[in-house]
Amino acid sequence: MVPEAPVHDEELVAYLADPELSGMFVTDAVDHLGTIEAVLLKLDAAPGDSKLLNDLFRPFHTVKGNAGVLGFTSIQDLAHKVETLLDLARSGDHALGAAEIDVVLRAVDLLLLMTQDLAARAAGQPAVNVADRRRSLTEAIDALIAAGPSPPDGPNPGPAPMEPPPALDAPRGDDAAPLTMRSGDGHSTVKVSTQKLDSLVDLVGELVIAQSILAEDPIVLRSADDRLNRQLAHVKRIASELQRHTMSMRMVPIRQTFQKMARHVRDLSRKSGKPIDLVLVGEETELDRKVVEHITDPLMHMIRNTVDHGIEAAAGRAAAGKPATSRLRLSAFHQAGYIVIEIDDDGAGLDTEKILEKAVAMGLVAEGEVLAPADIHQLIFRPGFSTKDEVTELSGRGVGMDVVRRNVEALRGAIDVRTVRGQGTTFTLRLPLTLATVDGLVVSVGGERFVIPTFAIRESLRPAAEQIHSVRGSSCLIQIRERLIPILHLGETFSIANARPTGADATIVVLEDGGRSLAVVVDALLGKQEVVIKGLGEMFTGVRGVAGGAILGDGRIGLILDTGGLMGLIDRTALGTAA
Amino acid sequence: METTLAQRPNGAEEPQASALAGKYLAFALGQEEYGLPVLKVREIIKVMDITQVPQVAAHVRGVINLRGKVIPIIDLRLKFGFPAQDYTERTCIIVVDVSLSGSKVMMGIVVDSVSEVLNIAGADIDDAPDFGGRTKTDYILALAKVKGTVKILLDLDRVLGSDAPPASDRVF
Repeated sequence: MVPEAPVHDEELVAYLADPELSGMFVTDAVDHLGTIEAVLLKLDAAPGDSKLLNDLFRPFHTVKGNAGVLGFTSIQDLAHKVETLLDLARSGDHALGAAEIDVVLRAVDLLLLMTQDLAARAAGQPAVNVADRRRSLTEAIDALIAAGPSPPDGPNPGPAPMEPPPALDAPRGDDAAPLTMRSGDGHSTVKVSTQKLDSLVDLVGELVIAQSILAEDPIVLRSADDRLNRQLAHVKRIASELQRHTMSMRMVPIRQTFQKMARHVRDLSRKSGKPIDLVLVGEETELDRKVVEHITDPLMHMIRNTVDHGIEAAAGRAAAGKPATSRLRLSAFHQAGYIVIEIDDDGAGLDTEKILEKAVAMGLVAEGEVLAPADIHQLIFRPGFSTKDEVTELSGRGVGMDVVRRNVEALRGAIDVRTVRGQGTTFTLRLPLTLATVDGLVVSVGGERFVIPTFAIRESLRPAAEQIHSVRGSSCLIQIRERLIPILHLGETFSIANARPTGADATIVVLEDGGRSLAVVVDALLGKQEVVIKGLGEMFTGVRGVAGGAILGDGRIGLILDTGGLMGLIDRTALGTAA
Repeated sequence: METTLAQRPNGAEEPQASALAGKYLAFALGQEEYGLPVLKVREIIKVMDITQVPQVAAHVRGVINLRGKVIPIIDLRLKFGFPAQDYTERTCIIVVDVSLSGSKVMMGIVVDSVSEVLNIAGADIDDAPDFGGRTKTDYILALAKVKGTVKILLDLDRVLGSDAPPASDRVF
């Protein structure tokens, strides 16, 4: 990186003069810039809305004010420049058209970069040189202001604001106190570090387990004392209520992620020249903060794919008799302990024949093999698959949907696609609401108990003797409705003493992962339970087939099985016998 | 101090025996007596049900739930190559803090019995002797003479450090 101009060194000095306050400024500014972006996108759809303009003005003013107080001149100057433009818009002297919103969005991006760069530099990282971008943006804003009151494509200037926004007249010192946020609906909120929150969730988990161990203590179970039982029941109620509340603290609405997508769609639409009408549904749907962190990239990828491959260019839409503006719907809702996110377009749909052709060419499917259309569509999730013949700037590099699928599965989720040729495609993501717990089936093998995540289980059964096929004397395969599935005897694989052998009356749980199946032999099924997932720690990172540990009702640990890892173990055994 | 010890050829950083004076938790494995710096010890618990973990060395007995935390359990008998023995009334798990590649990890070690906390003076501490090439001694801090017996003072980070695999890229 090119060394920065000296003015920035002053900002660094200013930052280090009060790192705590400056740190708060950074988090706060990032928040405000996110809000600004969201409002801008709304304003793009409803130009001239005076309330939205005010919503835009206020956070900008706060960022500018705070930057000024702390001595971050470059941020203050840029924010001031944008504010000048917005002020003209607010007083009705300059309508905000698409060009203006474009410039302001770019300014928001740059301000975000500068703000984060400030923190990065304070942490000793090299500076990013933004002087050129800043200059060209400032010039662009000046040009827009100079161009005069009403741009050619602008609508009528909106009415003057009904009342001045309260924050505007407040003294700057008030704006510069960033400890508490004002949120729209009047609730006050407090920022807490995620570390504190996580350890609170851990502790509450322990409390709930400790409480259930106490309740299952033989002395308590034998006791007929009413008062004791009543008090225990009371403690239990409080503990589970407490757990529910702490878990809900980790939940955040998906709104922010959706807003990022809205911006993404807008940019993609501009770049590709395909007008898109984005509909967001269920923005208030809540999910675990950790899940949110991990779905942004897959969603970006899928939306890029949709705009690039799914939605036809203008000529194609005209030929198909569709409106020039395509509709893209992003929706989220809860369903049976999962959050479902759908990306739905009214584009061309998947080209089944082309996918099959490509799959045959890649050797994924044998020549002449007959597949149901739905199975063919699943092929797009295979590594290296892309039907777009030329590589475009937007997508089509051949890494894509398989990466998305892997990311989603790493979150213990699933992805599916439905498509109708000529009418559109729907991608459905099904994700657990939280990564902290999992629904599992508790099974026993010898003296040990294991938890099998419910989402991986297809069925469980007691096979008849003729269903089990042996190879070289050991039971290797089970036939279930015309399918041969490899058998894994958990007791043997994990060297557990006293496990029951694979016999006609064995209990078998059929697991599924990434389109493959595996029949796991266990001693008995003990019941379904929601468990808290705990890592086993560094010492066990090399262990395959185990995803972690869960503390069961009696305080002992049961290992949580990892289906993908178990399949890897089968492959290894198979290799071993072949060698 | 009287007991100024000859420096090891390579060991400017090796702790001086006199600097090792302090409190040690004494425990037994078979006929041998050992000591652990008490500052490393968090607590001593009775042997509880240990959940086996597959695909690990025999001396890694598995994991237990210590008040909501999952901690690994190492059988020191097996680690040191003693014959395995059934756990008895006197068998204990000593919960210790170990530094593994820079980070602090809680672990439990299974020992035959725990006896007492000893206050060991610098004068009673001898440098770990060189047993020749056949016996690995880098995890021995020093030897201490206490009431006519010899206690082997252990460097736990070295004893247990070799059990941690290099960091891997697993998701969970």
